[in-house]
Amino acid sequence: MTNKTFKWIGWFLLCIVLQSTVIPHISIFSIKPDLLLLALFLMSTKAGVMAGVYVGFFLGLGQDLFSPEILGQNALAKTVVGFFAGLFNERVMRMDPVTQAALLIVVFLMNDALIMAVQIVKTGGEAHIVLGELLMVTLPRAIYSLLLAMLPFVWENVIQPVRR
Amino acid sequence: MRWIIEIIIAHRNISSLLLTVSLSLAMISAGPEAQSKVIRYLNFSLYYPAFATVSQITRFGNVYSENTRLKHELAQTNARLHQIEDQSIENRRLRGLLGVIEDSPYELVPVRVVAYDPSHLSKSIVVSGGKNHDIVPFMPLVAEHGAVGKVIQVMSNISLVQLLRDPFSRTSVMCRRTRAVGIMETENSRDFFIRMRSHEDVHTADTIVTAGLGGIYPKGLLVGTVSKISDDKNSLFKRVYINFTVDFGKLEELFVIRLAPQWSAFRDELDSLKIKHDK
Repeated sequence: MTNKTFKWIGWFLLCIVLQSTVIPHISIFSIKPDLLLLALFLMSTKAGVMAGVYVGFFLGLGQDLFSPEILGQNALAKTVVGFFAGLFNERVMRMDPVTQAALLIVVFLMNDALIMAVQIVKTGGEAHIVLGELLMVTLPRAIYSLLLAMLPFVWENVIQPVRR
Repeated sequence: MRWIIEIIIAHRNISSLLLTVSLSLAMISAGPEAQSKVIRYLNFSLYYPAFATVSQITRFGNVYSENTRLKHELAQTNARLHQIEDQSIENRRLRGLLGVIEDSPYELVPVRVVAYDPSHLSKSIVVSGGKNHDIVPFMPLVAEHGAVGKVIQVMSNISLVQLLRDPFSRTSVMCRRTRAVGIMETENSRDFFIRMRSHEDVHTADTIVTAGLGGIYPKGLLVGTVSKISDDKNSLFKRVYINFTVDFGKLEELFVIRLAPQWSAFRDELDSLKIKHDK
């Protein structure tokens, strides 16, 4: 395993710890940022499709084992999301921050839509509530995660130059 | 078969996606029983070992704080244990004293030792009981194992007690077995002896008790045992050395023997002497 792999494993472990310790305390109206999905997105855009698919699969499987509502739903969602984000690999195309932000929101929507679709198929839920859920829960969650992800970017590109 | 592998390698991204999506769909479409089996299997093979490793690592991290906490608890427990041991010893002592009270034919006033004479061989002590407890001078004191001394000065709530081992105490004692009487003396404030006539039949380990002469100590209070017998300078006498039964260095709870009727006449006499002296 290369140093990069260890670095990513470290980041994911940190995200898991933060997600279960710090994040519940910074929720706004029960909306919590999803650090794992954020990390998966960043990793996939940097490492490519293969890494995105497998990391997404095992990450989702881990979530499924942790809260086994329907086994495989998170694995499926994260796999597809990892694949999708991996298509926009930085080595293949360069993206400006606005495109990246838009892509992140799409990734969030895709992840939750897939999970809800599985739930509807498995439990026979009503399909019309999906759009409402996506707008009322997923979108704010994506924006909150995006704001969190922007903090290092703002620090590096806005605050540090001003301090210098 | 080879061409399949070649296709998979050529389209490894799509193949990976298909593989993982197929696995996910298989898990989703499985029945609840199969799902729970898979979950149990994966938990046992993946999650629990990982958790065990993490918990082992965090355990090492907690060793220092746990060690500090255990040291603190050990100190607290030791302190409690010593306290309990002290209480247990006190309990045993008090039970013994209770036996003294029940067996005694005299009226006893319980007192506690509050101060020792600071000299190396303490000859007097201060006890917690005085005029307010109807204690008067010359009342004898006893402990669990025998006579201790006599009250020589009384204040409101404390009294000064002259111990038996004070060289100036000069207590009259006798051998319980032979009834041979003598006065307790010392030459070095450490070894106490009775000068007895040479022909008295006293042996080592004989019990020495108060003789009841002099009007201070009632007859029969345990004083000690004969430790050795030696010749005196005067060949008509021999020295009978005494081993005190009371440990004068470890006195805590004592009893004043209230012998009021025996003392009234004597006290009057003392008072009259005092009046004469004052005049």
